Amino acid sequence: MSGTTMRAACAPLIEESVRRCADVMTLGADGHALFAPVLRTRPDRFVEVGIAEANLVGIAAGLARTGWRPVVGAMAPFLVRRAYEQLRVDVSIPRLPVVLLGVGGGLSYGALGPTHHTVDDVALMSALPSMDIYCPADAADAAAVLRHCLPPAAPTYVRLTARQDPQVFSADTVGDPREVRLLRDGRDVLVLATGRCAAEALAAADECADRGVDVAVGVVTCLRPFPDAQVAALAQRWPLIVTAAEALRFGGLGARVAAAVADHPVRLVQLAVDHRHPPVAAHEELLGFYGLDRTAIAAAVATLLVEG
Amino acid sequence: MSPAVDNESADHVDADVASFAASARARVLRLAARKPLHVGSALSVIDLLAVLYTTVLRRRPDDPWWSGRDRLVLSKGHGAYGLYAVLAELGVLDDCLDGLPGHPSDGIPGVEAATGALGHGLSIGCGMALGLRRAGRDQRVFVVTGDGELDEGSNWEAAQFAAHHQLDNLVAVVDRNGLQQEGRTEQVLGLEPLADKWRAFGWAVSVVNGHDPAAVRTAVTGLIDRRGPGVLIADTVKGKGVSFMEGQPSWHMGQLTEEQLDAALAELFAGQEASLS
Repeated sequence: MSGTTMRAACAPLIEESVRRCADVMTLGADGHALFAPVLRTRPDRFVEVGIAEANLVGIAAGLARTGWRPVVGAMAPFLVRRAYEQLRVDVSIPRLPVVLLGVGGGLSYGALGPTHHTVDDVALMSALPSMDIYCPADAADAAAVLRHCLPPAAPTYVRLTARQDPQVFSADTVGDPREVRLLRDGRDVLVLATGRCAAEALAAADECADRGVDVAVGVVTCLRPFPDAQVAALAQRWPLIVTAAEALRFGGLGARVAAAVADHPVRLVQLAVDHRHPPVAAHEELLGFYGLDRTAIAAAVATLLVEG
Repeated sequence: MSPAVDNESADHVDADVASFAASARARVLRLAARKPLHVGSALSVIDLLAVLYTTVLRRRPDDPWWSGRDRLVLSKGHGAYGLYAVLAELGVLDDCLDGLPGHPSDGIPGVEAATGALGHGLSIGCGMALGLRRAGRDQRVFVVTGDGELDEGSNWEAAQFAAHHQLDNLVAVVDRNGLQQEGRTEQVLGLEPLADKWRAFGWAVSVVNGHDPAAVRTAVTGLIDRRGPGVLIADTVKGKGVSFMEGQPSWHMGQLTEEQLDAALAELFAGQEASLS
């Protein structure tokens, strides 16, 4: 699945779910990239809501209450923030079967600026009483997530990126996105990464190897429900762990790993986004600005080994 | 699509509705003597709910979740005790309403959606109406909003959507009591010309006295039969039925003393006897 965007990888799976399941309905807010195949084959299963995200989520809830299983796609910053009360009251509390696809999560809108950055989505979704949360690492991972989440069965948020990402998984390695997938073994330090940071973690491991440091890399796509037992088991083997996530700390990967390994003698470094105002910069540069790129991850590994 | 009320029995039906509403009001007042609640809002909306539930909605008395039912969403969730009292009169809820929350919540028989965060109900109603239509079902959806609630912009997103998608099976009912928490709606944030705003959004509009069961029933029936979504702007009185509460913003939320309860019930039943004599 190299050379494609998450949206392009997900669109045919959404259409397939619509074809297979008579009760799946799709909804968009003036954005059709995820739904172009549905619009071609089953336009009666798409609802155009316009640029009105609060209404979008409320309508999805109403559809769910009449027996439909809605798949909602919209730009992540507006889906998550503008519609937050609807997400909580209308979808999460009653645990309706609604899948929410947030396009452009994290920093992936880059130079479009902080109005479009969505580093708070994981924290906000974590604060809801019921909401599964996925941050896929690349297009193949996003497709694996959708295969698991469709047709909708519970409130679920999937953070998609806006542009093509470096390839992390092959068809052979993508596996079950609910589990930690160890993509690289190594004896010294374990890096656990989610979303776009997975590619940075693998590159950081290469850099560390050049300096004789052996780094293992695990990709965590499902943040909620979190694979606590699996992470705790990994902590028994690696007492030194770095987490890297393109999101605020609250409810994020680092906090969840810290909770999972609380009973283990682990040294943990959490790399996450802070509240500094970003420069006008592309996605990759912003990862560097917030200390989440390969250089920053390699530096965190080095620090752990020195202080370990 | 019209409710099954013929002309010959209409007067009888309307008298029954008035009696039903009086009993529901008494329930609210007795509750409001035991704990503080949004009593003014409950009393303003009860006549509307009584008409809708007893003469308009297609429902099964023994099964609040019958799949073929029409849906009613009380978007003005602070009118919860008005809804609970009506549902109790219908036998959907038990007589003891004391333990129920101040806003409709999931899991309560007859409550179609949790509301109280204002400006949610019309969007949910749009989704229900569209969902029923796309499933090939002929059920209707009624959303009862407050007037102060229309300050919330999400209502107008939903209004735009309903007209664009020509949701024939959606009727909004605005409980236009003219008051919100801090005073008159026109002083807090002017809504007028309210009917023109709905028309401009593509809705059919009727304006009636919300405490006149025959007028409400006739207007709602007419809106159902019109093409596209319809809205009934129901002129109501906050605290209706109890003279010392009527039109008083201080009774937006409150608790009655025993003396106030006795006076309110006496007035309520005197009015009911007068209407029957």
